Amino acid sequence: MIPALALAVGVVLGLLVEPVVPLWLQPYLPIAVVAALDAVFGGIRARLDGIFDSKVFVVSFVSNVLVAALIVFLGDKLGVGAQLSTGVVVVLGIRIFGNAAAIRRHLLRA
Amino acid sequence: MRGEHAEGAPDPLVQRALELRGEARTRHRPQLGVMSTSLLNELMTYHLDSGYAAAAGRPKDRSPAARRKARVVLAVGLLLLGFVLAAAYRGTIRQAPDSERARQALVRDVQNGSALGDALQRRAETLSGQLVRERDAALTTSQAGDQVAAQVRRLEGAAAQRPVHGPGIAVVIGDAAAADQVDPATGQRIAVPADDNGRLRDRDLQGLVNALWAAGAEAIAVGGQRLAPTTTIRAAGEAILVDLRPVQSPYTIEAVGDPDTLLPRFADSDAARRFQSYTGLYGIRFTVRESTELRLRAATGPELRYASSVPSPTVSPAVSPAVSPAVPPAGSSAAAPSPAAPSSFAPGSVAPSPSAPGGGS
Repeated sequence: MIPALALAVGVVLGLLVEPVVPLWLQPYLPIAVVAALDAVFGGIRARLDGIFDSKVFVVSFVSNVLVAALIVFLGDKLGVGAQLSTGVVVVLGIRIFGNAAAIRRHLLRA
Repeated sequence: MRGEHAEGAPDPLVQRALELRGEARTRHRPQLGVMSTSLLNELMTYHLDSGYAAAAGRPKDRSPAARRKARVVLAVGLLLLGFVLAAAYRGTIRQAPDSERARQALVRDVQNGSALGDALQRRAETLSGQLVRERDAALTTSQAGDQVAAQVRRLEGAAAQRPVHGPGIAVVIGDAAAADQVDPATGQRIAVPADDNGRLRDRDLQGLVNALWAAGAEAIAVGGQRLAPTTTIRAAGEAILVDLRPVQSPYTIEAVGDPDTLLPRFADSDAARRFQSYTGLYGIRFTVRESTELRLRAATGPELRYASSVPSPTVSPAVSPAVSPAVPPAGSSAAAPSPAAPSSFAPGSVAPSPSAPGGGS
């Protein structure tokens, strides 16, 4: 209940406050979103597996976002930013799909 | 992989976590060949953050304080997560529609403007047609009037103030087709606008038009815009403007002239030969075809800056002031159906001979 409420409040805050994403941060926003989605699916799956841990969830979310942004930042500096972005999206995307499949097996038994 | 060395521990949670991983291993491990690397294997097999298994392996603090703390941590994390997602969403929809909205508004403005221009153009054509009829009717009542009318017709033809029709040739010339190129990064085919060599410039159209005049054309229209003696063909950025109105590739140049000599003389001109060779060289389109009947509309009248029509006492005040600047010099009397008042051209030469029999020209 409280987590759902917190998520809703976060979404409403994000919509109402209309945070202006600084220009230098904008390349990392898509990566942050993918990392966040990965954390969400991982958390839901862990919950269904019965091994959810809120600390692990939050830390994995924050660190995923930061590491993904760092990789892309380094890539940008080294001239392979676009390729590394693709790499991050592919890896996190595979994880998202894997976790989504596990969630589906849990919920639908199929 | 911190759960690994807890293997065999009696803690049921650890057992559970390891069972889950074992299941995942046996059930979902892909049968990869010898070439597979452990990294790819890992990527395809373990989707869950290993932190969860590790945390499950640790003894859990079940005190109320610890649970409350965990809940707060979770709430803050989810708050942050929702915020990031919503911010990304907001940022995306704010950016894209902004540029899109501005573009739409500009497109609408342009469309409205050119629709208005077309309507005014049509109105001007109707009015000047009416003017010509009225004037001819007024002039053909006398011999001197006939002469004046013939002179006016000749001058108007030369000044392109009168629609014409007749045999002629139509030259269609177009930019080189956009070449498809493959984007090296994405592999997608992207349409690349023809490079500079394959794109026609204003001077190309000028050259062709001059060649047509030289070949004996009597009236020329480019992209439907009739060329008057003062009409310009010029470039504004990428666009080509004919009489200040944009024309687009492929450009159709219609020329009315003697059907026996116009085509051969034009085909023999330098410009035509040059563009013929450009078709092979740069891939531009260039076709010339003969036509037995071309219809060219009148050019827009010259814009009067200093001249204004002479007010005539017999003209009824039906002329709206918004129209009069847009029509040719004699236009102010055109709307009023009073043939007795040719206001701006040589009224004296018509009036003195009312008794002369009107010759039907």
